[in-house]
Amino acid sequence: MSDDLKPGEERFPAPAQLDAAGRAAQKQRNLWLGLALLAFVLLVAITTFIRLGNTDLSKGGFYYHNDGKSSEEAPELPPGMSPDQAAPPPNLSAEPPAPEAEGPETEEPEQ
Amino acid sequence: MTDAPATPEKRYGTAGDYVQLLKPRIMMLVVFTAVAGLIAASGVTGQAMHPMMAAIAVLAVALGSGAAGAINMWYDSDIDQVMTRTSTRPIPSGAVPREEAIALGMIMSGVSVLLMWLASNWLAAALLALSIFYYGVVYTMWLKRSTPQNIVIGGGAGAFPPVIGWAAVTGNTPLDAWILFAIIFFWTPPHFWALSLLAHSEYEKAGVPMLPVTHGAKATRLQMLLYTIVLIAVSMTPLATGLGGWIYGVVAGVLGLVFLSFAVRVWRSHAGDADASGADRKLARNMFLFSILYLFLVFAAVIVEHAAGLYFPLGAI
Repeated sequence: MSDDLKPGEERFPAPAQLDAAGRAAQKQRNLWLGLALLAFVLLVAITTFIRLGNTDLSKGGFYYHNDGKSSEEAPELPPGMSPDQAAPPPNLSAEPPAPEAEGPETEEPEQ
Repeated sequence: MTDAPATPEKRYGTAGDYVQLLKPRIMMLVVFTAVAGLIAASGVTGQAMHPMMAAIAVLAVALGSGAAGAINMWYDSDIDQVMTRTSTRPIPSGAVPREEAIALGMIMSGVSVLLMWLASNWLAAALLALSIFYYGVVYTMWLKRSTPQNIVIGGGAGAFPPVIGWAAVTGNTPLDAWILFAIIFFWTPPHFWALSLLAHSEYEKAGVPMLPVTHGAKATRLQMLLYTIVLIAVSMTPLATGLGGWIYGVVAGVLGLVFLSFAVRVWRSHAGDADASGADRKLARNMFLFSILYLFLVFAAVIVEHAAGLYFPLGAI
């Protein structure tokens, strides 16, 4: 049989022919691989849930910085002020900062 | 008609073969010392891990140990085939293809480091990755076939587990963690050379420059004695730092003296020589077996003191 492959091309090897014992061993290995993958997924899920459980994101006494590492304790509120009345820190403020005054306004000249 | 030569029956890898690839006996000792580091860290610092996270961290250490074992067997399959003691391992026996062994080792390395990081912190994960690299690459691929000091320097790989366990709990590695490291580090040469005195002809056949092959049995026996003396000194340092209390002191002291008596008797024997008697060989074998018991009991003493509330510091009595 002539080889019709172009230079650089390779012929795919013939698929492995397994006997009954080979198939049984392959099936057993596949089962173990599946179980190992399932165990890995479960372990990642468990660690994730425990880590999330340890992080109290609803805690109001702290400001969490965007670097993901640090936090600082919120200052004491003035007497009578509830947390929802307190202004957020400047770096978390939703409102844009007020424009700076640029000297006295000048009236437009009359036309 | 003449009988045709019997062809070996084709073997298919079972789950047991893949487990053997992970060197389960080494894995048990690695896990045990990692647990000791973890418990000692909790006992000394008062910090504690979530029990489930601690279990996953220990599992990660076991997987890392298995990964390093699989990489070792992949790389050493050529010399394993030559040595009688290792010729029945999964790769030389044909049960597991080499490429599957390295694939398993690499995947398990990644999984173990990832799990360690998720369960504890980046330092413990980095130390685990370093220990796998140390055993799989530095020891197996470089030191083992190039220097008679292979198991001295390579012993560092097996000494990492208690440091990893400590780092998993506290996020740092203070002096006490490195003392546990040093105990295993200085334990490795007398432990392993006791075995190599018995199997040096096998190593010679495989071209592995173990100390008895390159420098002879007499020099090896002397080195074993010297390392045992250093080991005994190092094993007493936990008493000075407060890591070990009375129980540890008694266990490490008594076992250290027994270890030393083995080392002296082996040093005076002809174990490993061509004219070694059966009693000499038995002595070396007994020293090898006792060394395993020694490490197990010394670390068990650390666990008992810090896990069972039986820590009595030397200055307190």
